[in-house]
Amino acid sequence: MNGWMGKIIQIDLGSNRQQALPVTPETLRRFLGGRGLGVKLYTDLCPDPLDPFAAENALIFMTGPLTGTVMTSGRYQVVSRSPLTGTICDSSSGGSFGAVLKSAGLDGLVIRGRADHPVYLFINDGGIEVRDAADLWGLNTQQTQKAIHERTPAKTSVACIGPAGENRVPFAAIMNDRDRAAGRGGMGAIMGSKNLKAVAASGNRAVVIADPEAYQAMNARLDRAVDKNPVTGKSLQVLGTPVLVNVINAHGMFPTRNFRSGVFNDAEGISGEKIAETLLQRQSACYKCPIGCGRTTKTRNRQGEGPEYETVWAFGAQLGISDLTAIAEANYACNELGLDTITMGSTIGCAMELHEAGALGEKMLWGDANRLVGWVQDTACRRGFGAELGLGSRRLAAKYGRPELAMQVKGMEIPAYDPRGAQGMALSYATSNRGGCHMRGYMIMPEILGHPVFLDRFSTAGKPEIVALFQDIAAVVDSAILCRFLQFAMGISTFSEMLRAVTGLDFSDEELLTAGRRIYTLERLFNNRAGFMRADDTLPPRFFQEEFQTGSSRHRRVRLEEMLDAYYAVRGWDAQGAPSAATLAELGL
Amino acid sequence: MAGTVTVRFYALLRRQLKTAAIEVEADGGSLLELLTRAEELAGQGFLDELLDPGNELLTGTIILVNGENVRLKDYLNTRVRAGDTVDLFSPAGGG
Ligand code: SF4
Repeated sequence: MNGWMGKIIQIDLGSNRQQALPVTPETLRRFLGGRGLGVKLYTDLCPDPLDPFAAENALIFMTGPLTGTVMTSGRYQVVSRSPLTGTICDSSSGGSFGAVLKSAGLDGLVIRGRADHPVYLFINDGGIEVRDAADLWGLNTQQTQKAIHERTPAKTSVACIGPAGENRVPFAAIMNDRDRAAGRGGMGAIMGSKNLKAVAASGNRAVVIADPEAYQAMNARLDRAVDKNPVTGKSLQVLGTPVLVNVINAHGMFPTRNFRSGVFNDAEGISGEKIAETLLQRQSACYKCPIGCGRTTKTRNRQGEGPEYETVWAFGAQLGISDLTAIAEANYACNELGLDTITMGSTIGCAMELHEAGALGEKMLWGDANRLVGWVQDTACRRGFGAELGLGSRRLAAKYGRPELAMQVKGMEIPAYDPRGAQGMALSYATSNRGGCHMRGYMIMPEILGHPVFLDRFSTAGKPEIVALFQDIAAVVDSAILCRFLQFAMGISTFSEMLRAVTGLDFSDEELLTAGRRIYTLERLFNNRAGFMRADDTLPPRFFQEEFQTGSSRHRRVRLEEMLDAYYAVRGWDAQGAPSAATLAELGL
Repeated sequence: MAGTVTVRFYALLRRQLKTAAIEVEADGGSLLELLTRAEELAGQGFLDELLDPGNELLTGTIILVNGENVRLKDYLNTRVRAGDTVDLFSPAGGG
């Protein structure tokens, strides 16, 4: 087979029984791999929503048809039902783990059941071994990776959890290649619930390329395209993702102190420009990535990777903190303990507003950089007030009687773009299948950054169509699997060209966009079954009721009602947000 | 007409020019005229990081006048006056 390895294994950790899951060529073509095929497998295996921590729940690691081939193809996706949101969830991570898992012979690994003691999986050239991990339980993610490297062949790649995952914190991450995270949605907590400390992979199998000549020529051309593009060839390399701090702040939509201002007065002090002058040691890159947006950084006492833009915001402006060292060290702590930085920071900010409003006795003060790392550690270990921060913002704010102070959608915390500053982004947040996430349909690209075309951020006209299109393209990229940042330099026609060269199938742009729509709709179907309907496609009331008084997004509110019906119509969903019978028939679902 | 316009540099522009902002004498003219004078003051060319040879904004270039994107105003003909702030971002991205 070209592109795919032709093998998906299911392992039950309760019985250690393994079985191959057959997938037809037609299913591969319709769902590609990664997120799409993962969601297809998940919804076939667990059609009725299960408690995410139930033993029978499936946790699925996926590679894609492009994994291990073209540029940025080291990534993998993890699919399950999120313990944070209750929605379907897939989480993506870079590094090289995806490419190595595929070189071990797998398109996917489905994990079910619960081991009766801590274990890790060692996958070597198609075989899977369940190994004891009793002595690894309690170790942080870096110690775990190091320990497993010592007991496995050279070039083994490890995806693992830290204490946060072991303790089932619902926003625990899976970490691989030291500091790369499948961060959002708590996939790490599901690993913990299965007593699964890590998945280690090693192998030598090559992906068979259908058309090696076209493939070579294409790669050379794409290398030049990435190099020539000012974002992928320069900005991301020199300044990384935190370059956005000043961009978004200048647009008055850099969420500050739990989204009560769109301008952070100390933005310069935590900007990408500043990080490049202070913490940055060098850039780093994932497998076969000519961009290299990663930041290897150092504070006086510590070193590690990041912080990325979202993290600079979550531990910075969101909390009124402008101390870059504290932000970087909180980021290092999240990586080591295995926590999603966005939910962590946003939840701390929520607690700060709860305290300020008199609803929470615990002294949580804006700008308190000294206690930041302690809060992260306590959350991972569920100690003291950390046990409450470990609820995530929605459950925390509800517990203290002020649910409207959680800046979340469907239980997932909204990241670093205030939706009042970009109407398309607002619609994208509201309709995202995994909750408040920017990656389902990154409308900041056209609305702020002007890629591939510039759109008026305050207009709602045409946004439903474009949001749906961006969501569908993102589903394709996550299923192929590629890095989203390639989208600054290339679009869907390049992705279909890559898939043609690698798989030999005659994918057209249109077929891929339909696949994206199919995947998005299948995710929606699951969410409908889990109880998510129109009323859940919304945002916290703050965004409809409160206006900023300063900055260039002042006097604006989200106008979701102007867009939601049209969005459902574009999607072929009914007024309650459920896909119509005709839509399902058209997509073959 | 007395007074100046503050021109602020961000992203790679700032690294290239090694300065975060300059003050440019305002004459009430167009943005393009102002930027051309800013280039002289900065002592080195930077407009080719923002514009193509035909003076169209490059994909991804962001220019804000008082926080508003000039693509939604009069583009490079946007009038700039004393006391205004012009923010220049060479193409940047992240996520
Ligand atoms: S652009 Fe950044 S995140 Fe994407 S593959 Fe390259 S280094 Fe990894």
